[in-house]
Amino acid sequence: MFPTAIEKTSKLTQTTYKAALPIAVLLWLLPLFAVALTSVRSIEDLNRGNFWGWPTSLNFVQNYTEVFTRSPMALFMLNSVIITLFAVAGTLILSCMAGYALAKYHFRGNLVLFSIFIAGNFVPFQILMIPVRTIMIDWIPLYDTVWALVLFHTAFQTGFCTLFMRNFIKQMPDALIEAARIEGITELKIFWHVVLPLVRPALAALAVLEFTFIWNDYFWSLVLVQSDEARPVTAGLQALKGQWLASWQLISAGSLIAAIPPVLIFFLMQRHFIAGLTLGATKE
Amino acid sequence: MAEVSLQNVRKSFGAVDVIKGVDLQVNDGEFCVFVGPSGCGKSTLLRMIAGLEEISSGELKIGGKDMTKVPPSNRGVAMVFQSYALYPHMSVEENIGFGLKMAKVPKADIEARVAYASKMLQLDTLRQRKPGQLSGGQRQRVAIGRAIVREPGVFLFDEPLSNLDAALRVQMRTELSQLHQDLKSTMIYVTHDQIEAMTMADKIVVLSAGLIEQVGSPLELYHRPKNLFVAQFIGSPKMNVVPAKVAAVSGDIAHVSVDGGSMLALPLRGGKVSVGDVVSLGIRPEHMSVSSEGVMQATVKLAERLGSETMLHLSGPGGAAIIVRSDGLASEKPGDVVALTMPAGCCHLFDAAGIAIVNGALI
Repeated sequence: MFPTAIEKTSKLTQTTYKAALPIAVLLWLLPLFAVALTSVRSIEDLNRGNFWGWPTSLNFVQNYTEVFTRSPMALFMLNSVIITLFAVAGTLILSCMAGYALAKYHFRGNLVLFSIFIAGNFVPFQILMIPVRTIMIDWIPLYDTVWALVLFHTAFQTGFCTLFMRNFIKQMPDALIEAARIEGITELKIFWHVVLPLVRPALAALAVLEFTFIWNDYFWSLVLVQSDEARPVTAGLQALKGQWLASWQLISAGSLIAAIPPVLIFFLMQRHFIAGLTLGATKE
Repeated sequence: MAEVSLQNVRKSFGAVDVIKGVDLQVNDGEFCVFVGPSGCGKSTLLRMIAGLEEISSGELKIGGKDMTKVPPSNRGVAMVFQSYALYPHMSVEENIGFGLKMAKVPKADIEARVAYASKMLQLDTLRQRKPGQLSGGQRQRVAIGRAIVREPGVFLFDEPLSNLDAALRVQMRTELSQLHQDLKSTMIYVTHDQIEAMTMADKIVVLSAGLIEQVGSPLELYHRPKNLFVAQFIGSPKMNVVPAKVAAVSGDIAHVSVDGGSMLALPLRGGKVSVGDVVSLGIRPEHMSVSSEGVMQATVKLAERLGSETMLHLSGPGGAAIIVRSDGLASEKPGDVVALTMPAGCCHLFDAAGIAIVNGALI
């Protein structure tokens, strides 16, 4: 197995590893820690230049309340939830069906279609900015609504998810589906009763990955949404900037609030998340 | 009534012909085994009968009805797969009853049929288990149970025993034969194992490269093979074949000289040969014996002692490999030069193209 398990290496390597790991973790968490500290500082502290030291007063309640009173943070969160849930659901439904068709049905152009799904993943999304914005304004009048983001994320993420699902379903033995077919079970019922229950682990893993991807999106929230009514939390943080003075303590508090759902989802479904990253990478 | 008949059935994948015209009649209640080496098209032929592969041309009838273009579910067949193809997320009874449930069969009826099948297959105590908690043999039984509850006219088996270990395979073989006697349904069974074919079949179909080589009862194929392919495929260890030449023909007797000088007088029983023909002489290992009256000299290379019998591997005239089935306590050792008897009634003659000229006179 690669890499070699740490228990099997030399004493020196093990000691170095055990010493280096906490340091690396600390270094890595330091900015996050600073943000957390800043989120409870008072504005006076920041004005005095106390960015790294211990806060002179703990303004936890005041700062976190202010995030919700100074900006429509609750609305932003709600928007994010709507966008993420609908986009994740749409993506999973579409990619599961497309993946099944590409994996198990033999039809002309199957491979070409699959290649297009893969190729789509290589398109840098920035080049889509202007065309997508134009489409959302002129052709599908969803610009500046949460549905613009739902639609775009669903469309864009389906490419990756279809690739993922297709490869997962491809490993399922054909005989399972053929057995059902001989038993006279209709294609839709085969999908529902045989295929879906068996791809549940893959779906769970994808759901966690996609939740994180879509929730954390900032770029498209800027491109497709202008008003607060439709703004998700990532883009909404800028409302906390303050008019003349950067209110870092509020931005920090807002950022942490925005980060809670994906972090929560990650810890709740950690098992699936890691499974998702390595799924299909090795043979059992 | 569920007899299966194939008329000039062909299958091609693009330019590659896999089944090159098969005519076959499987009678109602018959246990028919398709046997042949890997890649001969036996599984493809079975899948065509099942409806999982399209029939490129020709006609398939099941129970007298044309089924060539009918979808698999309407053909009245049930299939047992090599990999069992059990639904991993369902328990044994859900697996067995799934097809019926989807077909909206009343619950009580499903329960009765599942109970009947699981009793028959000794699965009663395992009904709540998932396939992952079952042994290979038990999984195979569940797969068979799933076929039984559909009460099909024709059972199709695609190498169902090849994933089982040797002991279990022998046991399942007898269980399947028993099942066939109990159900009296038509069964078509694919295997590459000629022992399975010999032990279970009413009718064996030997296939090679997409064509039927011979159809017949196990003993018919064993004792009256139509060609060298069948002669060597059926039987283990396989039939010995020695190159030979027709030296003289007098009436119905051919005098055949085997490489190395020995001469045999074989009754032709209507077979036609001419002097000078190059032929192959075939004889099964159990029909040869070591004896001072033997007509062919050979050197023992290896003695495989199986207890009940000894397989003598010999090097015959011109280096031809010969196997003789001898007594378990046979005294021959490697290096011994022995003489082998070849009773005329057990010898087969094949022409240069491998077609049988004359078969032994045992049946």
